[in-house]
Amino acid sequence: MVPVDAAYSSIDEVRSRLAVQRYICDNNIATVVYLATRLGKPLLIEGPAGVGKTELAKVIASSLGAELIRMQCYEGIDEGKALYEWEYAKQLLYTQILKEKISDVTAGAATLAEAVDRITSQDDVFFSKRFILPRPLLQAIQSEQRSVLLIDEIDKADAEFEAFLLEILSDFQVTVPEIGTIEARHIPIVVLTSNNAREMSDALKRRCLHLYIDFPSPELELEIIRLKVPEAEASLAADITALLQVLRKLDLKKQPSISETLDWAKALVIMNARNIGDAIVKDTLSTIAKYEGDLRKAEKELAGFIDKKKAADKAKEAAATAAPPADTKDLLH
Amino acid sequence: MQDRIVEFAGLLRRSGVRVSTAETLDALRAVHLSGLSDRGFFKSALRASMVKRTTDLPVYEELFDLFFSGVGDLVRANAAAPGVADAEDLSEEELRALLERLAELLRSGNLNLSELAKALAMQDSGELERLLRELMESGNMPRTETNYVPPGASKQMLDMLGAADVSGEFERILDLAREQGADEAELDRLRRYLDKRAKALAEMLKGLLRLDKEQEHRAEERQKDRERLLEKSFYYLSPTEIKMMREAVAALARKLKNAMATRNKHTKRGRLDVKETIRRSIEFGGVPFRIRFEDKRRERPQVIVLCDVSDSVRNVSRFMLQFVHSLQDLYSRVRSYVFVADLAEVTRLFKDNDIQSAIHKAINGDVVNVYAHSDFGKAFTQFQRNHIEAVDSRTTVIILGDARNNYNAAQEWTLRDLHERAKQVIWLNPENRSTWGFGDSEMNVYGKHCDFVEECRNLRQLHKVVDILIAG
Repeated sequence: MVPVDAAYSSIDEVRSRLAVQRYICDNNIATVVYLATRLGKPLLIEGPAGVGKTELAKVIASSLGAELIRMQCYEGIDEGKALYEWEYAKQLLYTQILKEKISDVTAGAATLAEAVDRITSQDDVFFSKRFILPRPLLQAIQSEQRSVLLIDEIDKADAEFEAFLLEILSDFQVTVPEIGTIEARHIPIVVLTSNNAREMSDALKRRCLHLYIDFPSPELELEIIRLKVPEAEASLAADITALLQVLRKLDLKKQPSISETLDWAKALVIMNARNIGDAIVKDTLSTIAKYEGDLRKAEKELAGFIDKKKAADKAKEAAATAAPPADTKDLLH
Repeated sequence: MQDRIVEFAGLLRRSGVRVSTAETLDALRAVHLSGLSDRGFFKSALRASMVKRTTDLPVYEELFDLFFSGVGDLVRANAAAPGVADAEDLSEEELRALLERLAELLRSGNLNLSELAKALAMQDSGELERLLRELMESGNMPRTETNYVPPGASKQMLDMLGAADVSGEFERILDLAREQGADEAELDRLRRYLDKRAKALAEMLKGLLRLDKEQEHRAEERQKDRERLLEKSFYYLSPTEIKMMREAVAALARKLKNAMATRNKHTKRGRLDVKETIRRSIEFGGVPFRIRFEDKRRERPQVIVLCDVSDSVRNVSRFMLQFVHSLQDLYSRVRSYVFVADLAEVTRLFKDNDIQSAIHKAINGDVVNVYAHSDFGKAFTQFQRNHIEAVDSRTTVIILGDARNNYNAAQEWTLRDLHERAKQVIWLNPENRSTWGFGDSEMNVYGKHCDFVEECRNLRQLHKVVDILIAG
């Protein structure tokens, strides 16, 4: 087995090093990332869109100082796009240039058979690494240092491609018929993400460690907003998180994700909103609700939320106005 | 620990979570790395390596707690803490003093106590947990059907624990204390304490039985739940089951879509495309490096669904509509109609709304009066008169209904006509086959003009039908 290098030494280290990359995660995520890097197993991440699945792969790479090789899957992706391709055009160009050389090689051949033999003995030139165009998978395998291979949205690819991927992921070697087998120098850290457009095959799942990232807890989300949008007013950030918790419980066509929450928070900062009651908050709701129906539901929730908050504030104020006499008295004494 | 994990994998399997041997091995290696000290890490490690389907996560959570914390919780719940001894309210110091005195007693005399009695008397929770757990894993736990613990069961368990006579052993401790000259007050305190411990043991054994049963029970329940959903008649679904079923139908549709995608791929490559090959060869100086083939177009079937949405079959219609519309891209065209006595097209509804709200509108009286009495004859006549051009020789017509016509005119000629025009006519009847043709059921009359008639009462049958559809 290829030595597992450049990995984390403890679960806490994963947390702290990801935090340095401005990625906040809970213990579960940290544990699974740690295990995946230590066991050298691919990591399959599932969960709703926009919870930071792809982001996690990116920060793993940057926290380890490893190169990130990304492969975006789509319907109809095939070996040629994922593994390697021959550069036909380049080969052809070389053939044209080498035409004269070919006549040199064949010069003096007595028979046609001999000429062919001579060319045959040279043909390795044309199927060498020189003409190979490495695609993400081969890049990751050939990489001089340990790299992070991100296979994004694997659920978009066809089932056959998944089967092909399995082969690569279990052996980390690629056989190019004309050249031979290329083995990995370092086993890359493989991260697969899936939005669950379709259920992945059991065979693939068996080979991977599985991580399900859900929407974060309110505390964690607040922490994320504070970290990524530090300019946001503290009370506003808290209100946003609270409102989102409510919204995610509704039957929306598309649930607002963390990335959208951050967009919203940023938008509010740009628009100078300080209070959840500001009109601008309502006008920017479209950053988190992307469907007409969702938007209407969100607006209703927001109005309800503001009313509730006002009532609470009033109650607080009432309590505060009742209290002051005592306070001033204290001060006077 | 190794055995524990392997056993846990077995329990998961019995609950319907697929865990392979390789995954169990992964789990062992993962636990080795994550260590046992932190429960959170341990739990995450097991989950990541053994549970790969998000739908299995709740099962995992439930069983994990039951399996790994159950016995420990039991022991902790029955530990003697200050204030637990209700009569005399031992303070913390008094308890500590008592335990010290006991330890002294156990050390001084050769009492030859069993491990259990020692652990019990000395409040050694870790040791107690180990002993009880071993008993539970031995697989020889007495089985009970109810929460009632049969008198023999505790005895049997004590025998297996190698402590057949705990109270006798406690007596011996008291005797020793008396020999060493303990006064009455102290003896009394000791006796009360030991009585409490003996009672706690009885509680723990009872709890252990319950835990054992619960584990097995949960596993079986889970397994049954899944199967039951497949077999459960659409008639009797509760709202939660409708939700579960909705997901199951969506998953089934996805699965079929995948199967179809591969099937299409294999048959896709057609003959050599000369024109395209020559055109492509231009960039390589006229050398045909890339051979192009024609794509073979697979003819996609057209589907027309006629759904009875009267009260009796509404649930089946719901899932049929969901199914057909989530598979829309497998067909070149899907048109759907709903009827009770009058018939109306709802294809537009599905275009303008998402599937669930369209279905909701279609079957809840927004388009046809759902409170009328079913009249298949009338509905078919309306279809024949207004929509028959939608049917051609490539169309598969699916009719969903119980064929209970309330003794109205059957108008079977409409179906005969339809059958002549269409590629095939399929009738799905949510009623049990044995009741067809009795009372006001016109199934046998209509059945003559259908290519096949299937019973479609549950998910398994629905699955079978769709398979036939796609193969067609």
